[in-house]
Amino acid sequence: MKSLVCMKQVPDTETQIKVNSQGTGIVTEGIKYIINPYDEFSVEEALRLKEKFKQGEVVILTIGPDRCTESIRTALAMGADKGIHINDESLNSADPFVVAQALAAAASQVDYNVIFCGHRAIDDDFAEAGAMLAELLQIPQVTLVTKVEVSDDKTKAIVERDVEGGKETVEVSLPCVLTSQKGLNEPRYASLPGIMKAKKKPIDKKTAADLGITAEARLESREYSMPPERKAGKKLEGMEPPDAAKELVRLLRNEAKVI
Amino acid sequence: MANLLCDERDVKFVLYEQLNIEELCESEKYSEFSRETFDMVLDAAVKLAEKEIWPTNADGDQKGVILEQGAVKVPESFHNAYRLYCEGGWSLLAVPPDMGGQGFPSVLNCAAVELFSAANQAFMMYPGLTIGAARLIEKYGTEDQLREYMDRMYSGEWAGTMCLTEPQAGSDVGALRTKAVKNPDGTYKISGGKIFISAGDHDLTENIVHMVLARVEGAPPGTRGISIFIVPKKRVENGELVDNDVICAATEKKLGIHASATCALNFGEKDNCIGYLLGAENEGMRIMFNMMNEARLAVGIQGLAQASAAYMHALRYAKERVQGPEIHALKDPTAPKVPIIYHPDVRRMLMWMKCVTEGIRALIYYAGYCEDRIHAAKSEEEAAKYQGFLDILIPICKSWSSDMGFRVTELAIQVHGGYGYCREYPVEQFMRDSKICSIYEGTNGIQALDLVGRKLAVKQGALFKSIVAETGNLLKNASKNYRLKDIVEPFAQARSQLVEVTRYFGLKSITEDFMIPVLYASPYLELFGDLAVGFMLLWQAVIADRRLEEIYNDAKADTPEKKAEVLRTNRSAAFYRGKVASAQFFSNTFLSLSKGKARAIMSGERSAIDLPEESFALF
Ligand SMILES: Cc1cc2nc3c(=O)[nH]c(=O)nc-3n(C[C@H](O)[C@H](O)[C@H](O)COP(=O)(O)OP(=O)(O)OC[C@H]3O[C@@H](n4cnc5c(N)ncnc54)[C@H](O)[C@@H]3O)c2cc1C
Repeated sequence: MKSLVCMKQVPDTETQIKVNSQGTGIVTEGIKYIINPYDEFSVEEALRLKEKFKQGEVVILTIGPDRCTESIRTALAMGADKGIHINDESLNSADPFVVAQALAAAASQVDYNVIFCGHRAIDDDFAEAGAMLAELLQIPQVTLVTKVEVSDDKTKAIVERDVEGGKETVEVSLPCVLTSQKGLNEPRYASLPGIMKAKKKPIDKKTAADLGITAEARLESREYSMPPERKAGKKLEGMEPPDAAKELVRLLRNEAKVI
Repeated sequence: MANLLCDERDVKFVLYEQLNIEELCESEKYSEFSRETFDMVLDAAVKLAEKEIWPTNADGDQKGVILEQGAVKVPESFHNAYRLYCEGGWSLLAVPPDMGGQGFPSVLNCAAVELFSAANQAFMMYPGLTIGAARLIEKYGTEDQLREYMDRMYSGEWAGTMCLTEPQAGSDVGALRTKAVKNPDGTYKISGGKIFISAGDHDLTENIVHMVLARVEGAPPGTRGISIFIVPKKRVENGELVDNDVICAATEKKLGIHASATCALNFGEKDNCIGYLLGAENEGMRIMFNMMNEARLAVGIQGLAQASAAYMHALRYAKERVQGPEIHALKDPTAPKVPIIYHPDVRRMLMWMKCVTEGIRALIYYAGYCEDRIHAAKSEEEAAKYQGFLDILIPICKSWSSDMGFRVTELAIQVHGGYGYCREYPVEQFMRDSKICSIYEGTNGIQALDLVGRKLAVKQGALFKSIVAETGNLLKNASKNYRLKDIVEPFAQARSQLVEVTRYFGLKSITEDFMIPVLYASPYLELFGDLAVGFMLLWQAVIADRRLEEIYNDAKADTPEKKAEVLRTNRSAAFYRGKVASAQFFSNTFLSLSKGKARAIMSGERSAIDLPEESFALF
């Protein structure tokens, strides 16, 4: 069972994000980075599939700057077999379409039964790369996956996915793209022996040229800004309840304009 | 939740910027490692601590342990945490590779254990005692003993304990009565009772290996007649585990670490308890002595860990709790209410907690680092130098950390006000859990006697002289930087005060007044600890100041306004500024008191000893 796991490195959810003074991005200095939590589910699921079939391979595919090596190594410490690290200025903070192109180009150079993506990355929240990747590779996709069962002959999978208010179970032929959702599994922790082994596992470095792609962005980011600070609320104090109610209705109608 | 167990940035600062532990990787012994592997270990430790161990902390405190029909049950939640801890191989972190371990430097182990202990001190007693016991076997065991016990203990399959204390033998270990009688087959029959044995019984593992101090029949009294035995709860007979007549008679109800089973153990009630000698007969104390540094450092880490968690929680609370207006607007009832971190007295408490916690962290890690430098030393001289630093600093790492760490936890409650006194917030547990650190593994009073009576005397004060020389080197270096003047001056003062008091002790100890150093051993240890921590913080300030200036220069921040802007937007700058402030605050609030503290000691005031017992109070 061979899985390709598309994995992104993102700022830790605990990080207090600051926008840089030019408004062109966030302040990255001093940030702690982690594996995108949805991608961690992917890594775990891929490892479980390999364990279940008692053979195969888990390959981690990441686009991003040097610092991403650390996340790839962490996935290798969890048990993945090797990494592919696409590190190219033109791709490192590209839009979802360019990212999907790069992932597709890298994917077509390797063997896989399943490609896992997180259903979204928690930094820019586009939730697009996985879907585009499947389109570019012209293979089926199932999004928001919470359970995966691959048939013994590896030609199809029964997959459970989140839908509004419930679950949907679908059958999909392999190879395909699955995008992981919370609830898929509980990712394992990297063990010390795992960390030591990870040092010796290979990470293939690649550039846009190696993949034979020239990136053409479809999206332009104009400006970054923090959400406006919430204004202090208004308190109606020292009023009789009927008057307060009247005043509240007036404010909701005239000031907040919600009724 | 952000990491409220420890300031990861500060941990990395100590490891990489102050101690520069990457340099250790240049030595053969640590050549397998790199900054990358260290970082991965820290990240993995943070994750396990936060996600799995911390959630068991309040649960363990509330449920405690249950003793039923002679068997102890730990809180249910501990089982999963323990399994993950073992699966992660955490016990093996700093164990040498030839013993099946990962062989990481001790200093990294300090950082990992700090995290785990901050997450749950009571939980960490189980793997902690196991490691302590396994280390003994590693150093002194026969090949068979290594395979039978040590391997299983390092993997976490079996647990371990240290059994020293008896009712009449607490600080006075030499008074112990547990008896060993030699059997014809070379094993020993053990009989006697131990009390206060941490992790003495539990259901985390199927077997527990007790390291028992006992006296072989006919051995001399006192510490010279003590031997150490491996006494498993279940012994192996014909490949099977059979009961070895070790009974848990009671568990203590206590102030803190409720989920750590503190057991009274009876050995050989049915005359069927077998012990296996470790090392040679009557070598027990010497063997224990060799493990003492490690065990005492481990307690220091516990003190640090609770302080660290307490500071982080207090800081967050102070930023969130809104109460009263700013001081300038005290009389204006319409003035906006502010988070309590705006109030100077709260800031003073936070600053106190910050610099003490960071100082302890640096001191503890430095001790771990000294151990590594001993192992990685290129010459015997170098090894001896670091061994000397370690030996003299150990009682300080244990006592100063536990005493001041406790005070940090106490201040955390103060910062929380009434809420801190209540169970709903975790800080009162930090304080209760922390208190034990000044008591076990040799009370702090005994540590002070070790420092004054033993460590100062080693090679006519050579240890003391070399550490003082080391602080002198730093002082010379730091004095060149005028921006650090406020830190350097109190430090230099404190240093000469300590030298003076030490000289005074030297004089007293050779006259009839030798009681004075004994009487003032604890205040002396405090003074020494102040300087040792001041040493660490000044060292850090030298580095942080340089880094901060570089950032200011890069940003062309040459006015106070521009610097303030840099501090607001640049996380590193803010951090370094905080480091310099820690040193400054510590120098001016702790070290500036050293003159008074020294005078109090050198007053030679003797009423505490001279006063007849009847005069303390009538009853
Ligand atoms: C929760 C807990 C866990 C423990 N875990 C273990 C364990 O795992 N294994 C184990 O063997 N023990 C353990 N102990 C025992 C612990 O190490 C002892 O309690 C400690 O050594 C002090 O002994 P004591 O209680 O008998 O006090 P005492 O020795 O009676 O001391 C009482 C006071 O007198 C002082 N004092 C005593 N003698 C002197 C002296 N000569 N000079 C100056 N001052 C002196 C002490 O400093 C202290 O302040 C544990 C205790 C507790 C409470």
